[in-house]
Amino acid sequence: MQTVKQTSPYIRKDVSTKRMMIDVLIALIPVVAFSIYRFGFDAILRIVVSLVVMIGLEALIFGLTHKPGKAEKWLERVKSRFADYTINNVTAPAVSAIIFAMLVPSKLPIYAVVVGAAFGIVIAKMLFGGLGSNIFNVAAAGRIFIALAVTSMFDGTYVGVDLVAGATALTTFRSGLGFPGVLNSYSLTELFFGYIPGAMGEINSAAILIGAVYLLFRKSADYRVMLSTALTFTVLMFFAGLKLYPDMALEFVLFQLFSGGLMFGLVFMVTDPVTSPVTRPGRWLYGLLVAVVVVLIRLFGAYPEGVAFAILFANMFVPLIDYPKWATNKIKPAFVVSFIVLLAVFSLVVFFGVGGTV
Amino acid sequence: MIAKTKYIPDGKKALKELPIIHYLDAEYVYYPVTSARCPEGETCVRGGQFVKVGEVVGTRKGAFFEQPMHATVSGEVVGYEKHIDNSGKVVDCLIVKNDKKYELHASIVERSDEEITNLSKEDYIQIIKDAGLVGLGGSAFPTYIKLDTKDPIDVVIANGVECEPNLIADYSVMMNYPREIIKGLIYAMNASGAKRGVIAIKKKYKEIEERLKFVLQEFTEYNITVETVGNYYPQGWELAMIKNALGIKIPQGQLLSKYGVLNFNVSTLQSIYNAVKKRLPVLERLFTISGDGIHNKSFRARIGTLVTDLIELAGGYKDEEQPKVMVLGGPMMGTNILRDDVVMTHTTTSLIVMNEKLEKEEPCVHCASCVYSCPVEIQPVQIMNAYKTRDKDALKMLEVNKCIECGLCSYVCPSKIHLTEYMRNGKRFAGK
Repeated sequence: MQTVKQTSPYIRKDVSTKRMMIDVLIALIPVVAFSIYRFGFDAILRIVVSLVVMIGLEALIFGLTHKPGKAEKWLERVKSRFADYTINNVTAPAVSAIIFAMLVPSKLPIYAVVVGAAFGIVIAKMLFGGLGSNIFNVAAAGRIFIALAVTSMFDGTYVGVDLVAGATALTTFRSGLGFPGVLNSYSLTELFFGYIPGAMGEINSAAILIGAVYLLFRKSADYRVMLSTALTFTVLMFFAGLKLYPDMALEFVLFQLFSGGLMFGLVFMVTDPVTSPVTRPGRWLYGLLVAVVVVLIRLFGAYPEGVAFAILFANMFVPLIDYPKWATNKIKPAFVVSFIVLLAVFSLVVFFGVGGTV
Repeated sequence: MIAKTKYIPDGKKALKELPIIHYLDAEYVYYPVTSARCPEGETCVRGGQFVKVGEVVGTRKGAFFEQPMHATVSGEVVGYEKHIDNSGKVVDCLIVKNDKKYELHASIVERSDEEITNLSKEDYIQIIKDAGLVGLGGSAFPTYIKLDTKDPIDVVIANGVECEPNLIADYSVMMNYPREIIKGLIYAMNASGAKRGVIAIKKKYKEIEERLKFVLQEFTEYNITVETVGNYYPQGWELAMIKNALGIKIPQGQLLSKYGVLNFNVSTLQSIYNAVKKRLPVLERLFTISGDGIHNKSFRARIGTLVTDLIELAGGYKDEEQPKVMVLGGPMMGTNILRDDVVMTHTTTSLIVMNEKLEKEEPCVHCASCVYSCPVEIQPVQIMNAYKTRDKDALKMLEVNKCIECGLCSYVCPSKIHLTEYMRNGKRFAGK
């Protein structure tokens, strides 16, 4: 009988990275289904293109960056490059690809989809070392790249635009109609159930929330980042609403929550573990950071929308949050106090920023 | 997944139902001359000499203590042989040929209750030292050193949590000898001057709780209570157990006695009872063979029995063509061994033989399950990264030395990264 040398522990929990990835894919089903229902073949085409580009390029670069073994035949040498290639090299880019596809409008030229997906997977992920080593969210990086590089291609790509209003609910809000005028074009129910123009996956908050429930139920996403982002966003927007539209502060908060990419980003992008800090307080802080940047961009920035920006911005702070000197997994009273203080400070910044006076 | 893991399926239910075979037919028994804590040792018997149960056959020498070895069978000393002990090391063993009569040595006479009431703290310490008692929970730390403390002790706590999967030695002692445990606890209280005694057990062991409480009715003059703690891993770690059973939070690295607490495993308390009352050293332990690569059986066998004999008696291995992982102790913290000629010592209570499962290590996705699950609240994933870059300062900042090697980080990792091994390497590296 042969005995094997191992070190303790000798048992492992029945969990896997694969399961985590597949859970995210399952959680994405309602969102994807709605986008296909709403946009039909346009949606399918963009999802498939994005999947092909991301999975394909990940495989290609994986092969290029791994050393081949010694073998006679060319084909065997190629195969040996893929010795460590696992299911996660398919599921992980698939998750990124679908999230990326959900971030783009349904009429966006395929060229832009390809460029964005390729930038995300090659520059933001594989060049950093592949799965687990990327510091920026892959889908967000791809989306921001095309938003900046091929801006003009986005013109007229949103379907179902109210001609009186503007491209999306948020641009309508920004470009003059304001609030609560925007609610005439897009009511809160329409916002919640996705009968508004917008990026394919971002519009239907109901479908996103179903996915969120599944992710949390399976514990494949951390509720802390979600909660922290949602809480901070709600509080800050409430203070803004309190000043801007004192009678309709609540409607203002709901409008902000359900419009744009906030819900989608909150459920599927902020929760990306690879680009999150690794401690409880760190994750609360990370969520706060994302929400603050989203609020600042939406209220004061040049862009109508900023979830993807906010995530990339917060990603940069992750190494700082995780720095061993102060990173701890204990939620200490000092942390709770500073979290509340930060929340209060940013609330005041927002309140006075939008024109509030004492 | 991305959450704290505290519960590990323990697989004890089936093991508890196994009948316990009292094995007294070993032809030869073996006594390791050295052990993990005692790098030196010598024997005081000659080949051909006849020894009886309880007779001192040698002494093991540790850094600051000595430990007598006792014969656990009667018979003739026949020589030496090399076998492995429960730390997996090859050691010299004294062989005694068992005559199966189990004659007791002349020194083994019961103490009367009156004698026991007159014992002073020093007497207790001497008795326990002479009996060679060690922590039977697995530490094998000499018991008398624990008792020999200058600090005032308020409470003696009996640890019956046994949180590792597959281990049932303490459970069976509590089930079968509750009176001996309680008496041992009373002796430990008398010896240390503690007024209070606590027996900590798992919440789900309702039957044990009832049994202990029933027996405690006979000892109402002592302040002894049964406290239940959660069914978590690693609840049996003394600091976690004391925190939950007594509400005393003791920082890592501090002596328990500074906080007025003395902690003994329930099996150790039983051995204290046997040493004080019957003047016996530890003679037997429950030994369980479990795992999917072997026929499962429970034995009560003498210290010194060769595990190979027990395996044969249990029915041997299953699926011999498959590679096996052999573990002495629990599956979370046990010792890996490569051959089965292990000699049973005081702390050998379990052999687990598993068919090897190959787990491919995937890249870390920073899910932080390890950070959330760590019972000492350090950050395994960051320690791994710091160790990979050989960053000594970061390792120290991350307090790698706090790690108790409970194995939870490796257990929970969805990418199957062997974090515990990184922790061990990190500790070693930071200590250089």
